[in-house]
Amino acid sequence: MGNSRFMLMFTPDLVNEPITYRMVKDFDLNINILRAEIDDNGGRLIINFEGSPQQIKQALKYLTDNKVQVKELVEYVRKDSERCTDCGMCVSICPVMAFQVDKVTWKVVFLNDKCIACGMCVDACPSAAMKLGQ
Amino acid sequence: MKRTVEEINARIKSGDAVVLTAEEAIELVKKVGVEQATKEVDVVTTGTFGAMCSSGAFINFGHSEPPIKMGKVWLNDVPAYGGLAAVDAFIGATEPSTNGRADYGGAHVIEDLIAGRSVKLKATSQGTDCYPRRDIETFISLKTVNQAYLFNPRNAYQNYAAAVNSGEKTLFTYMGKLLPNLKNCTYSSAGQLSPLLKDPNLRTIGIGTRIFLGGAQGYVSWEGTQYKTNVPLRNGVPSASARSLAVIGDLRDMSTDYVRALEMHKYGFTLGLGIGIPIPVLDEDMMRTCALTDEQLFAPVVDYALQSRNRRPVQEVSYAELRSGTITVKGKKVRTSALSSYFKARQVAVELKRRVEEGEFMLSQFVQALPHEKATRPLDVRSKEEVL
Repeated sequence: MGNSRFMLMFTPDLVNEPITYRMVKDFDLNINILRAEIDDNGGRLIINFEGSPQQIKQALKYLTDNKVQVKELVEYVRKDSERCTDCGMCVSICPVMAFQVDKVTWKVVFLNDKCIACGMCVDACPSAAMKLGQ
Repeated sequence: MKRTVEEINARIKSGDAVVLTAEEAIELVKKVGVEQATKEVDVVTTGTFGAMCSSGAFINFGHSEPPIKMGKVWLNDVPAYGGLAAVDAFIGATEPSTNGRADYGGAHVIEDLIAGRSVKLKATSQGTDCYPRRDIETFISLKTVNQAYLFNPRNAYQNYAAAVNSGEKTLFTYMGKLLPNLKNCTYSSAGQLSPLLKDPNLRTIGIGTRIFLGGAQGYVSWEGTQYKTNVPLRNGVPSASARSLAVIGDLRDMSTDYVRALEMHKYGFTLGLGIGIPIPVLDEDMMRTCALTDEQLFAPVVDYALQSRNRRPVQEVSYAELRSGTITVKGKKVRTSALSSYFKARQVAVELKRRVEEGEFMLSQFVQALPHEKATRPLDVRSKEEVL
């Protein structure tokens, strides 16, 4: 069983397609929607697939055949350590506590594996150190 | 036990001065007490690094051929104030760009200059008999201009509010992103490291005091704007925003380690600035205040959902509580975020300690004390006669 995170981008004509239903029903994947921004103009879905590599591969083929743009997310939110001033603004903003203050050094530590790419920290960061995407 | 600034400077020169950061002074006082610590220590260094909006730089560009009396001035398309002599201008940290670039402002111009990058200068003029030129477009850097110095009307605030939001929508403020329904709290003081909290009555800090400003040796030039003394006290220290400093220092000696452009989303640009002040341990009272801890220093919690200048504090919290990561407001656990970097505040205090120890940074006696009593005045809409 594998675990992979993807960003799916929809055009307006695809918003009525029951994409996530097909992922579960046809490809037997366990899915977890991490972030959804979809309206009449299309949108994007950040989604976690759990299943065998074969199942995930078939699901991705289905998506691309249906003109959904698919991008695998290796790292959702990137922290630019050069820009970061270790203030800690992000700490109380993050819904999953992906930022921790090291109480010895007082540096802000970003726990990448906890991050769900919600983007809450991106506009909260005064030094523009947090970037969403690849 | 008493000592003077002159005696301390003599010990710095001979390499004998004992210098501790405020954090180290706290530990020493816990171990040996105020009396003994006063005997042992000459200087305590402090530091803070935070968003200081009331900041900006004066620049003299030098004269062009033919010369121009600059009226309107832009630096990387950010307007600078040119209502001064011919080639002087002031670039304010919060000024936004006029070219539609949403992520660039005056603070970025200042950071770019300090980083050694070139900056585009554009200026226009009506032209005069002595300054015939009407416009100029060129590049400048710290290597080409005559003077470039920070001249900040209000920095290093002595304490500040901790901000919460009891409303139903997210607020974007100068205190950062405040989540609705008291979901978070932001605060902006280095607490036990912060310069003006360690000398609460400004016994040693006044006009002319030499300070660490953005990596340079700068000076206190005046009282900061909105300086006030009529505030509540806890342990003899203001538990709300009180005194502040106007400061000055050469951009050429600064470093982007201590000067950073910041942006508060949907509020605007501001300058992240590191300031440190060495405090001479003149006597036991000075050591006592230098050793005040985060447990003894308090900030008012203010609800920014009320959009009024008359916001009353919801409660007071200690910096130890704020720094623990959660405080309790109206019975609710609220996660906290610092807006000022304690990591960088410590970096400032440690670097300043090194400079004093190595004789690079001498202490100074101020030439004029800052006001002992002062209140701020509000701005109301009044008639011509009412203001007289």
